[in-house]
Amino acid sequence: MTSTAADLIAGISDPLAAVLAEQRWFAGKDRPIRAVIPVRATDLAGSDPRLIHAVVEVDQGESPRDRYQLLLGVRSDLPEFLGHAWVAACGDQAVYQAVHDPELTAVLLESIAHGVEVAGLRFATEPGVALDTEQRSRPVGAEQSNTSLVYGQTYILKLFRKLAIGRSPDLELHRALAAVGCEHIAAPLGSIEGWLGAEPVTYGMLSEFLRSAVEGWAMATASVRDLLGESLLIERAPGPAKPNDPADAGGDFAAEAHRLGHAVAAVHADLATALGASRASPGYLDTLATGMQRRLDSVASQVPELAPHVDALRAAFNEVREIDSPVRLQRIHGDLHLGQVLRTVTRWVLIDFEGEPMVPLAERTAPASTLRDVAGMLRSFDYAAHHVPLGDTDPELHAAAALAWTTRNQDAFCDGYAQVAPDPRKDAALLRAFELDKAVYEVSYEHAHRPAWLPIPLAAIARLTH
Amino acid sequence: MPSDDLRAQTLDHQSHPDLEGVPHTGEAVRSDGHLVEPQAEDFEHAKAAPKDPHWYKRAVFYEVLVRSFHDSDCNGTGDLTGLTQKLDYLQWLGIDCLWLPPFYASPLRDGGYDISDYRAVLPEFGSVEDFVVLLDEAHKRGIRVITDLVMNHTSDQHPWFQESRRDPDGPYGDYYVWSDKDTGYADARIIFVDTEASNWTYDPVRGQFYWHRFFSHQPDLNYENPAVGDAMIDVLRFWLDLGIDGFRLDAVPYLFEQEGTNCENLPRTHEFLKRCRKVVDDEYPDRVLLAEANQWPADVVEYFGDPATGGDEAHMAFHFPLMPRIFMAVRRESRFPISEILAQTPPIPSGCQWGIFLRNHDELTLEMVTDEERDYMYSEYVKDPRMRANIGIRRRLAPLLDNDRNQLELFTALLLSLPGSPVLYYGDEIGMGDNIWLGDRDSVRTPMQWTPDRNAGFSRCDPGRIYLPVIMDAVYGYQAVNVEAQFTSSQSLLNWTRRMIQVRREHLAFGLGDFAELGCSNPSVLAYLRKYTDDGNDLVICVNNMSRFPQPVELDLSEYEGGVPVELTGGVRFPPIGELPYLLTLPGHGFYWFNIELPTPDVTSDQYRC
Repeated sequence: MTSTAADLIAGISDPLAAVLAEQRWFAGKDRPIRAVIPVRATDLAGSDPRLIHAVVEVDQGESPRDRYQLLLGVRSDLPEFLGHAWVAACGDQAVYQAVHDPELTAVLLESIAHGVEVAGLRFATEPGVALDTEQRSRPVGAEQSNTSLVYGQTYILKLFRKLAIGRSPDLELHRALAAVGCEHIAAPLGSIEGWLGAEPVTYGMLSEFLRSAVEGWAMATASVRDLLGESLLIERAPGPAKPNDPADAGGDFAAEAHRLGHAVAAVHADLATALGASRASPGYLDTLATGMQRRLDSVASQVPELAPHVDALRAAFNEVREIDSPVRLQRIHGDLHLGQVLRTVTRWVLIDFEGEPMVPLAERTAPASTLRDVAGMLRSFDYAAHHVPLGDTDPELHAAAALAWTTRNQDAFCDGYAQVAPDPRKDAALLRAFELDKAVYEVSYEHAHRPAWLPIPLAAIARLTH
Repeated sequence: MPSDDLRAQTLDHQSHPDLEGVPHTGEAVRSDGHLVEPQAEDFEHAKAAPKDPHWYKRAVFYEVLVRSFHDSDCNGTGDLTGLTQKLDYLQWLGIDCLWLPPFYASPLRDGGYDISDYRAVLPEFGSVEDFVVLLDEAHKRGIRVITDLVMNHTSDQHPWFQESRRDPDGPYGDYYVWSDKDTGYADARIIFVDTEASNWTYDPVRGQFYWHRFFSHQPDLNYENPAVGDAMIDVLRFWLDLGIDGFRLDAVPYLFEQEGTNCENLPRTHEFLKRCRKVVDDEYPDRVLLAEANQWPADVVEYFGDPATGGDEAHMAFHFPLMPRIFMAVRRESRFPISEILAQTPPIPSGCQWGIFLRNHDELTLEMVTDEERDYMYSEYVKDPRMRANIGIRRRLAPLLDNDRNQLELFTALLLSLPGSPVLYYGDEIGMGDNIWLGDRDSVRTPMQWTPDRNAGFSRCDPGRIYLPVIMDAVYGYQAVNVEAQFTSSQSLLNWTRRMIQVRREHLAFGLGDFAELGCSNPSVLAYLRKYTDDGNDLVICVNNMSRFPQPVELDLSEYEGGVPVELTGGVRFPPIGELPYLLTLPGHGFYWFNIELPTPDVTSDQYRC
């Protein structure tokens, strides 16, 4: 007798809790799991193998509880290649994570292609899209908060793990940008959506897979590596460290940074066209500055290394209150850095419009200044410049080379941006405040997770407030 | 032709004092004013090369300057007989086709591209008979020979031009583009802006201006006159009858002029090329036309003609922008300069092939094709002073790469594996250097270095008599770099190059296969698949590290799950391809060529594990 999907999940809640705790995308690693409670469970396919789509609540003693999307396979005989995906035994059957089983993930693509609707789960293609369902899937890399499946070399299906109530900004912004013909995104092709209670929820998004694409981060760090390699080759003369000019280095990244700036500005313009822009209300800048200072206070209380900079930071945030030029607000990317941009053979593409994952949805979808995205990217250049480990051969030279690289590429990025939109450097006070706010966040993150990296944001704060 | 048509008359202008006693154009004049020209029947014909309709798609070409290769008669200048004497070497190296820049009679004001007689050989190189011997001996070794043909213009010393300026009403009066004014075709750019102020030059003899797209001593032929087209087709037939395997057609975009246009790539120019092609197809199968059109690939494909017919103009055309991008990619440690241009290269008709090269005698002028809107990588290239120097100053491959063996091998591997037929430049197979003190053109045209003996074994003449001094510096000098020394060393660049050419020959995928770039997350690694399926399955995967540092790469080869990559130079079997991305690590500037052995369906995959 086959149990219902809901019963099956309920019956394996203990092993499920153990498996959940090991998943990269599980956000509650710092707290013990008290219980895993099924919210809904739906059979999507077959009897052997069987595919179950489930949403579970994880009780960690807080309210509201976090909700996660699970895809579970059930087989009477688990093949060796799926051994690592095993979750629990259920009678004489094995329950396992279905994202590793191409036979079952094919069901997801077929359901999208055919517009299947089952028990409130809606699979659909975007208007005018026809899918080739013959493509076999594999899960890609280790992602922080989601699981992505690549079908053939053609499609990528992003499955959201921790579910936010409300439609995903990623899907929403991709649709809006596609509708205005934006060139700098991967085309959205389909979705999996539904309802949890009275709230809409996004389970998955299918898009064009950019097979030849490379992360901006990999491109940037290759360039830094080349500059450092070149600088360290030459015997250091006595006196202050003088790296090679990054403009003369073989791996110069400025042309790419310039083109990237152009692409980011084009996406901002398309977002404004698609979803509108407005002038900020009079109280906006005060609220913004207050928020930045609140974050500063909180971080400063935990990180003593920040103390020498607190006054300068406070002054920089206060300057925001004095800005008298109008500020435009619109939808933005929200979490822009070099890991969120891909270089394809023909263009730069922005991905993952989800916004900062830890921030509430209402805040993520609120109109904001495009300078926040620009500041995120400028900070990312600084990180890339410091990320190439070359030992302690010559730390002073390393630092000088990193600074030269950062400055050159930040400028090139802004130059490229200014070809489409007003030059972000003209709003110096606001841009600087966003950069510093980001750096303060970085200080808190590094303090908690990577103390050795603390000097990167601290040095940036010192430079920017100097 | 009946001899009574001839007036035994010597021309009053002696355009060819050197051709005295040799058959040449204008030795006599017929009663209707036409010049008598040598005919193919006057000479022996070479035996044809073995039949093979698509040989040019798989061939390795070798550009060799007759003057620079080998001197058979000790006068300090290389010659056709000298080249013939070195055919065994070229056969050993694995060359399929020689490309000879012009060896026609010429005043040599433009490296021989100023032809003063299409039917005579420059006397210092030998004679038409010597050329037939070269062809015959090359064909015996399975080597074909093509040469340049300049159809757009002649030297002002050509008897046609001399007749044209002397007698406007004679049979040659309309052979060139004459005008009373110098204002026509104002929209045509001036190509050699440094030396020419206008495309028109006044001729005091005729009292009119003549049109020239290149130097003023190179008047353009007037293709509006049907007799000119006929005469040029007869020139093609002359050499094809002797046995030549094809032509590189120089400066093809400029044959016709039309008011209100830039006078490039005009429809009538394409019509004339179609006519040339038809002559080749109908009368001379297996021979090829290679178009030199220094334009973007998207424009160059026009010169292949109609895709529905498999191509009905040139069989081949040079892919110019690829070469600088290979340099750019390695300098930037990024595959994108190459990926971009290949993505911008349109498909070509089924019977056609690109010609690709790293170096040749006379390169791309960057400024001619800069178009920022279309191609940002190109403008980036122009901005980088070191990149510009690579192109602007004519240098050889080895000095450009600081004589770094790893980079020399990487560049050669790219040349031999990217889509197109590779063209090697003489001497690059031994890593010859250049002599920048000789000036732009001559620095890469120094004598081939055969041995450590006097004159590098190029000539037995008095060293003072040699046409250009041999390279003598400490790194690239002939005592260090020469064929004899490298021949006996198994680790030499020469033997390595020969081995790579052999490997290329063993796999049809290199010449005939489709090209598909394999994506990967490492920007410094360029990986691509060459796939030929018409005649069995030939799958070759090439993985190249553009960086000087070691790199890892994960390739999605899941389409070939169960297949086994076999490294092509050593035959080592790598671990079989599984479902997960295939991991490889490459040394700095390293590369791999793999053949993928696919599992046969009836064998279990266990048998492929070793």
